[in-house]
Amino acid sequence: MIISLEWLKEFVDISETLQELSVLLTNAGLEAEPVSIPESLNGVVIGKVKSAQKHPNADRLKLCSVSDGTDIHQVVCGAKNVDKGQTIVFAKPGAMLPGDFKIKKVKIRGVESCGMICSERELLISDEHEGIFILPDNLVAGQDFMEAYGHKFLSIELDLTPNRPDALSHQGIARDIAAIKGRKFNQLQIKTVKPNIDTVLSISIEDPMDCPRYIGGIVKNLKVGPSPDWMVERLKAVGQRSINNLVDISNYILLEMGHPTHIFDYDKLDRKEIFVRRAINGEKLTSLDNIEHKLNKTQLLITDGKSPIALAGVMGGLDTAVTVETKTVLVESAYFNPITIRKSAKTLQMNTDASKRFERGADPDAAERGFWRVVTLLQELADGEFASEMIDKYPLVQTQPSLSLRRSKLDLILGNHIKKEEVDHVLNSLEIESNFGSKDEWHCKPPSFRPDIEREIDIIEEIARVVGYDTLPTDENIYGTFRYYEPDPEKHIESISSTLAGMGFHQIYSNSLNNETSSNLNDKNAVKLMNPLSQEMGFLRTSLIPGLLKAADFNEKNGNSNFRLFELANIHEQETEGFEGIKEHKYLAGVIYGLENIQSVHQNPYQEDIYSIKGYLVALFKNKFGIRFELKPSDHVGYNYAQTILLNRKDAGILGRISPDWINKLDLDLKDIFAFEIKLDSIMRIISRKKKFSPINFFPKIARDLNLVMPESQPVGPLIKMIKNIGQNLVSEVRPVNIFKDKISVGKYKKSVTFSIIFQHHAKTLEDKDVNPIIDDIIGVVKKNFNAKLRS
Amino acid sequence: MPLKKQIESVRNQFLADIESFPNDPPLIDQLRSKYLGRKGLVAQLLSKMSQVKPEDRPNIGKELNNLKIDLNRQFDHKVSSLLAKDHKYADESIDITLPGKEPRIGSIHILEQTLSEIKEIFISIGFHVAYGPEVDDDYHNFSALNIPESHPARDMQDTFFVDNKTVLRTHTSNVQIHLMENEEPPIRYIVPGRVYRNEAISYKSYCLFHQVEGIYVNKRVSFAELKGCLEYFIRHMFGAKRKMRFRPSYFPFTEPSAEVDIWDEERHEWLEILGCGMVDPNVLDNVGYDSNIWHGYAFGMGVERIAMLKYNINDIRLFYNGDIRFLEQFI
Repeated sequence: MIISLEWLKEFVDISETLQELSVLLTNAGLEAEPVSIPESLNGVVIGKVKSAQKHPNADRLKLCSVSDGTDIHQVVCGAKNVDKGQTIVFAKPGAMLPGDFKIKKVKIRGVESCGMICSERELLISDEHEGIFILPDNLVAGQDFMEAYGHKFLSIELDLTPNRPDALSHQGIARDIAAIKGRKFNQLQIKTVKPNIDTVLSISIEDPMDCPRYIGGIVKNLKVGPSPDWMVERLKAVGQRSINNLVDISNYILLEMGHPTHIFDYDKLDRKEIFVRRAINGEKLTSLDNIEHKLNKTQLLITDGKSPIALAGVMGGLDTAVTVETKTVLVESAYFNPITIRKSAKTLQMNTDASKRFERGADPDAAERGFWRVVTLLQELADGEFASEMIDKYPLVQTQPSLSLRRSKLDLILGNHIKKEEVDHVLNSLEIESNFGSKDEWHCKPPSFRPDIEREIDIIEEIARVVGYDTLPTDENIYGTFRYYEPDPEKHIESISSTLAGMGFHQIYSNSLNNETSSNLNDKNAVKLMNPLSQEMGFLRTSLIPGLLKAADFNEKNGNSNFRLFELANIHEQETEGFEGIKEHKYLAGVIYGLENIQSVHQNPYQEDIYSIKGYLVALFKNKFGIRFELKPSDHVGYNYAQTILLNRKDAGILGRISPDWINKLDLDLKDIFAFEIKLDSIMRIISRKKKFSPINFFPKIARDLNLVMPESQPVGPLIKMIKNIGQNLVSEVRPVNIFKDKISVGKYKKSVTFSIIFQHHAKTLEDKDVNPIIDDIIGVVKKNFNAKLRS
Repeated sequence: MPLKKQIESVRNQFLADIESFPNDPPLIDQLRSKYLGRKGLVAQLLSKMSQVKPEDRPNIGKELNNLKIDLNRQFDHKVSSLLAKDHKYADESIDITLPGKEPRIGSIHILEQTLSEIKEIFISIGFHVAYGPEVDDDYHNFSALNIPESHPARDMQDTFFVDNKTVLRTHTSNVQIHLMENEEPPIRYIVPGRVYRNEAISYKSYCLFHQVEGIYVNKRVSFAELKGCLEYFIRHMFGAKRKMRFRPSYFPFTEPSAEVDIWDEERHEWLEILGCGMVDPNVLDNVGYDSNIWHGYAFGMGVERIAMLKYNINDIRLFYNGDIRFLEQFI
């Protein structure tokens, strides 16, 4: 909301600059910043257009002579509306306009132009830039523009929180300034008008819960015309365009005192009565903004007893709107139930100045003052005659709660003792009625315009807000109990990230919302959103793989084709129907792509492959966390060479090369990308397990190489396992170091595998006589079990 | 010549010899024998000890010993520096200007790094860390936090719905409620996690972000303590001299509520960094903590926002697209 400084000054003295005022309001919870014209504009003065002729060399430009009171300047002007005799804003050469726009003498189409006639937009007064800003003629040429006139447009913009409906007006803001600075608040004086009764108005309300109060009255013999300058200027200062006196009055009062009112063209009412009721399903109404609404019973209506004439508290109807022909009006000033209006506006998808105030809680008492304010202004500005009584239907009287503010609670919550006089001052200036009782507490009654003050804590907040948070002390002690169990249950997950980062993986965070294709890649049922931003983000992800593949594709397309990525995050699954069926699981996934090491003078490049990914995972799970790591072939459709990952013998995930089918479905351009995905839930406890020391074996190791020839199709893994078995405690390591195939020296369909075997005893130095029998055993067993023999 | 003089003479002779020290191992051995061999000059001097007067023996003996140690040391030094020199030039093919064999190094995401830093600071002042669900019911995300249906405060957070009663949490405050439902006060927790907002994606907003909420409930808890706690946090995160301010604001679940800004010297403006306040009595009562006895403070901050301010990151989308050119800046 935009607030005009000039307007504000009607209710409270202000000596601050716009900047200072913004800080002051921000520090009181009303976030503000200056938005308007700067407070001074050097070299910008009132000017008079002495003559305006066509530019000799351009049809669309005019050549003007402008008086600044002492000199006449020749100015080229492009505005259509410039004319002889006008009073205008003149920026002399050397002046600086907002946006660091310096005015210089220039030649325009061969003619010298000394200065500029300004539009409203150039002065940041409004967006108007079609023509120049024409001023009232009583201004004297040569006067400083800001001092003489421009100050009327100084304004600040407020970003208000939903708890403060009272601050949605100039009067409300002024009241807060008065409270904070200890100044006098000059409340708007409301006059009542004696009617000249010739019309009777009947008002009835279907459900007082929806509309606790409705005030109406008739004003006739109106003369529609332009609003007075002061009103036009004030509306302009807050960014509103003047329409005519009738329309402006209601807008003006809304901004002045915050209470929404409405003016109907009485002659256009079919039946001359008011009935407030809920809409009937299917009923229709076209609102002022010329949109036809199909209504339902969520919406509250103002009707003329039969047809709807307004969306109550939201917007008036087009058919009964005031026009230049209007003669007689019905003035509405009501108090509607905030929840009713909120539901109504929400279902209509409307958010108007009126609905904003009603749904936050309008002031039921202000309904009456608002009514009289409209009537007096109609009388003063449009020659209206009050022709009915003020009909006040108030079936559900609104009362304010009685609250006690305990001194002990105030001190406890704020951690500070604020003196009684200061508390009294705050309560007083916010119009909270109070008296200090015997039991060290204040008995309080908040004013009707503060629906947000319902409890003791609300009053404490008001006191803190007005004295200023910065005046409250800072307590640097730590109190309370401490607990001694694990401070962060997910602390150990960090070591997964750091280990992978150490192995060259970059951690990514990717969007957990994705499209149906991505969510349906695996067999899991995805959680679907009711109101997604787009179909591309309609589901919660069921796997981290699509996000990693997209990131891989992105990097590949941006010139990086060798990388390792991982993500550690939650996935969601709709396991069964409903809220209870939504399950959240923590997953770890990664992809590797391109070269493991790039070409250099030191080494040849190697492609990342399935053995790389197996190696990284063995390093992470077995070496780092001491978890038993095994693979078993899987028929997972998303992967080639798919392997189920077993962690401590339990199914935990999958690894392999992503299948071309998945790449196609995701519409990516990747080839040979290897991936793994692991559910972490089951191993969380193991990861956090404390490590145990085992004594170091200081006895020397004996290394033996064993060269075995076996059928080409024989997997090597079982031999490693077998060698370890036979060696029992003596074999500490078995590593295949070479695989060799040669039809002639090894034989057709054969391979020769060299195993490097390390022997070590825990209690003595091994000798050949200890090792040789084991080697013989191995040779015997591999011959029998694997059809393998020692290579000669 | 007295033995003392002879010692000096041998030393001087040695110093002269090593000036033109041979660069050849056999010659070095020869020279070593000349002085330190079984019949070398030092040994000869030692054999003369019997001629020294008994009262001078300790002194002379000491000097002789020093000479022996000294010569040995100088030999060793000379030999090892020669060897080092030798080694250096042994393989002429080394070109140290060639790049080294750099292992590839990955990175922990800057959001995780920032979160770890935040956790560490709060753990250091007695907070524990708790986690909770990203998909939750309306009650835990809104109603229990004093945001009833049809309240304008619901507009403060655009929400993704799974069904009418199930939402993607808009803050991690839902976990506050779960915690308090399951634990007796006092409690002191921070709750990090992913939260969702139904907002169009742009350089400054994304459909999700990460939040850290904190809550402390005890019998006596004051706004002054809240200020102390958050000033401690901000000084750790942004430097001891960082200017900050608390200004009144509104959140349905705290009262009084405050927004904390830090001063940005470069931009010359205040920047919002977190929201906080005293836990609203309704929230305490909703979870069955008697608000006449228990009080608390709570705060919440966006990890992205903190990282963006701290590292001058100007586009929130960079956190989520996995661009290695971004990631590798935070190795």
